Amino acid sequence: MRAGFLAGVLLLAGGYTWLAFAELAWLSSAGRLGPAFFPRIIGVALMVLCAWSLGAELAGGARERPSVHWRAAAALALLSGLFVAALEPLGGLLAMAAYLAAALAYFNRRRHWQNALLAVLLPLAIYLLFRVWLGASVPRGPLGF
Amino acid sequence: MTLSKWAAALGLAAAALAAAPASAQPYPSKRLDWTIAFGPGGGNDIMSRTLISILEKYKLYPENIVAENRPGGSGAKGWGYVFAQKGNPYHITSTSGSFITTPLQANTPWQPGSFTPVALLAADDMLLVVNKNSQAKTLQEFIAAAKAKPPSIGGIGAVNIDFIVPKLVSEKAGFTFSYVSFNKQGELITALLSGALDAAMSNPGEVLGLLQSGDMRALAFSGKSTPAALGKVPTFGELGYEIGISLPRGLVLPPDVPKEAQEWWIGTMKKVVATPEWKAYIDKQLLTEHVLYGEEFRAFLQKTQGVFGDILKKSGAIK
Amino acid sequence: MDLFANLLLGFSVAVSPLNLVYLFAGVMIGMVVGIIPGFGPSAALAILLPVTFGMNPASAVIMLAAIYYGSQYGGTITSILLNTPGESSSVASTFDGYPLAQQGRAGPALVMQAVASFVGGTLGVVLITLLAPPFALLARSFGPPEFFLLVVMGLSTLVVMIGGHWRLGLISALIGFALGTVGVDLETGNSRFTFGSAELIGGIDFIPVAIGLFGLGELYYALYSGLHVSGSGGIVQYQKERRFWPTRRDYAESNGALARGSLLGFVVGVLPGAGATVASLMSYSIEKSVSRTPQKFGKGAMAGLVGPESANNAASSGAMVPLLTLGIPGSASTAVLLAAFVLWGLTPGPLLMAQKPEFAWGLIASMYLGNMALLALNIFAIPLFVQMIKLPYRLLAPAVILVCTIGTYSVNGSIVETWLMFGAGLAGFFMKLHGFSPAALVLALVLGPLAEQSLRQSLTISRGSLAIFVDRPVSLAILCLTLALVAAGIWAHLSRRAPPQD
Repeated sequence: MRAGFLAGVLLLAGGYTWLAFAELAWLSSAGRLGPAFFPRIIGVALMVLCAWSLGAELAGGARERPSVHWRAAAALALLSGLFVAALEPLGGLLAMAAYLAAALAYFNRRRHWQNALLAVLLPLAIYLLFRVWLGASVPRGPLGF
Repeated sequence: MTLSKWAAALGLAAAALAAAPASAQPYPSKRLDWTIAFGPGGGNDIMSRTLISILEKYKLYPENIVAENRPGGSGAKGWGYVFAQKGNPYHITSTSGSFITTPLQANTPWQPGSFTPVALLAADDMLLVVNKNSQAKTLQEFIAAAKAKPPSIGGIGAVNIDFIVPKLVSEKAGFTFSYVSFNKQGELITALLSGALDAAMSNPGEVLGLLQSGDMRALAFSGKSTPAALGKVPTFGELGYEIGISLPRGLVLPPDVPKEAQEWWIGTMKKVVATPEWKAYIDKQLLTEHVLYGEEFRAFLQKTQGVFGDILKKSGAIK
Repeated sequence: MDLFANLLLGFSVAVSPLNLVYLFAGVMIGMVVGIIPGFGPSAALAILLPVTFGMNPASAVIMLAAIYYGSQYGGTITSILLNTPGESSSVASTFDGYPLAQQGRAGPALVMQAVASFVGGTLGVVLITLLAPPFALLARSFGPPEFFLLVVMGLSTLVVMIGGHWRLGLISALIGFALGTVGVDLETGNSRFTFGSAELIGGIDFIPVAIGLFGLGELYYALYSGLHVSGSGGIVQYQKERRFWPTRRDYAESNGALARGSLLGFVVGVLPGAGATVASLMSYSIEKSVSRTPQKFGKGAMAGLVGPESANNAASSGAMVPLLTLGIPGSASTAVLLAAFVLWGLTPGPLLMAQKPEFAWGLIASMYLGNMALLALNIFAIPLFVQMIKLPYRLLAPAVILVCTIGTYSVNGSIVETWLMFGAGLAGFFMKLHGFSPAALVLALVLGPLAEQSLRQSLTISRGSLAIFVDRPVSLAILCLTLALVAAGIWAHLSRRAPPQD
């Protein structure tokens, strides 16, 4: 698991470092530190450290077992991702209600009345707080709310 | 609950969005959607809301006007939204400096010239200021000193008029300088006060108090004429260094709107700029009154962006 | 005697019934705005600005300033209860505040944060009252070289932040530095890692990253470790709950942290560009390094909560010094206040306090009252907030994600930043799971860009010469101070390691 995360960071760091070398200048036109100066140092250091840690991790060979509850965490992560994706197409209010209904149906099972009430009232309260009272921006859907 | 009015306005905006595009009725006969491409409280927002309150007070626009802040991406989001309303004369937006600079820095589908121009109303012009301890009392003395030893001049951002103005002057006068770019006004001003910088470019409104107290001295102003509150500061033009460009505070409609809508807005803006409320806004914000209508405004936008593009490409800021 | 006359004038303005109403409205709005993750004081001030147009400037500034410092009180509440910072300046309060809540000490933690906020805020106002002119001199002697050295001092505290696993901690910090380089390069104007997107021109904002890393990451982690089905199913297991008020030991442990945090916060707050976030992160590191029990930090040390809390409130008071005495904004919120001054027809600058004493001193006097009102409001509201963490996770987790997401979106109306928050949430989960240091990441993200910018500004001014850091008296002083601190740290480290002689 940790090895996988480190490998992911290593990959991103590789992309970052490549861009820093390929697209940006080490020194500015006046001969001072350029836009790539720090990114190249950061990128190389990050890659070295990640590779080192990854090596240590693989050599150690300790395999952790994922927690038995990983499904709950994954479900919440998936639902929150879908929520963000639905914000602009559905509009803030509908997306909130749909997300909350789905999340409560998964986590707060068999309490249908409680869930339905929460899925209507909480989004409405948050919508009123942000949009009406604070006048802040909440994504607006095709129906205008 | 002082915000409830706001909320009502936002509700109306929702209805406006749902409304169908223009038909054969005479212009204007529908609700106007006014995009502010920045958040509340900034210069662009304040100008838009001033204009709307004038339009409402003098009943110049017969229907409702709904203002909506659509901030994001240094204006790219709001202006992109208006750009996408091609041919719809019931959308309008106000411009500011990023209208020129954002398309130079990012891949926006629009350019300043792609919109239907209504009017340039005012310009953000820049003041060259020095610390009170500086040897230079006038621009001529500053330039003479600069030729002997290249000065450091501070400003906000590298892709900004703060860099363009001293660059134009230095090319004409024949000196070089180090441009020191800052993120925020506070850091720039303290850098000048601390004596780290030789000079700085600033909006007059941001340093007026420090000029009055004598902590700073203004050497020259980049606009056509100096705002009264600054006293006897000469313009660069008067001293022989014509600048000719500035950041545009104006109004534009989406591309390809009917000619009559553009004419209607030009006529209306001529009335707006004559109101005492508008004059008060210009005075308070220390803007320069700089009015151009229609195609002249488009030409101004294109010229300004051309100068920006040339200088910034030469300096390597943009590709 | 002048001082008394001024203060008297100030109080005569501040205690007029109408201004008291505005003051209380301000502190209430500030609390609410502070509690909401993402949506911060600068956005609230900007939105309320038009409302103040018809008001008397003194009343208007009393209300707006109350929103500003009130939000510093509110921001910590969710940091402690949910590990979700309400404001960027309350990130440091999550480090020990949340562990305290998990141990069933949410009540004492919230009371202590209110006390710390009050002490920091009030001490800040006292310093403004007595010593605004000398502090204004300090503010105006700060150019890029001084600023760079200050940030380096802040960055040196990364060593403390990195924690047990140095390689993973360093990787975390480097990720923070890397994220900090996204956006338009300040000096050359070149776009770095923006992929042509206009949304990324301005760089990666700290708020969505902090909310994701700490708030969302913690929720995912809590579910992963099965908290939603174990015991009461909430953050606090009921049987662990203890008394509401702080103990005498809590106060004793916090005295030093209160004093250090307030002073540090005020000084950093006075300097334009640094602000409450930097002050609170620096304070946390300092508390950890001076503590006799640094191993307790991150596991519920009261000093680790009290230090940053007093620092961020003192910093918001300190930010009033350059605003009132020089007309210079030190932060996003004070920039909105400055714009408001102009709209009300005032000319901010060194002459403001002399020309409009009732305005400036009315504001200062109102800050004494506002801090008292906030302390009372907090103590009164804390028992209500504590109920929040008794909700079981199966209800709390979906609801918190709802508020965080909408709160993040509302800051700039940006879906890109909302995705960023979500991504940071996933990253935060894995970082917590695998022993990385999210704290080091945010510290690097905040300080990295400041360090790079001020270093390159300094070198541009000096045309490449490093002498600029020793030629200027203030920067030389900071340099000596930093070296002394480092030397003291090494010496302390060595003497601790040395085997006992007798």
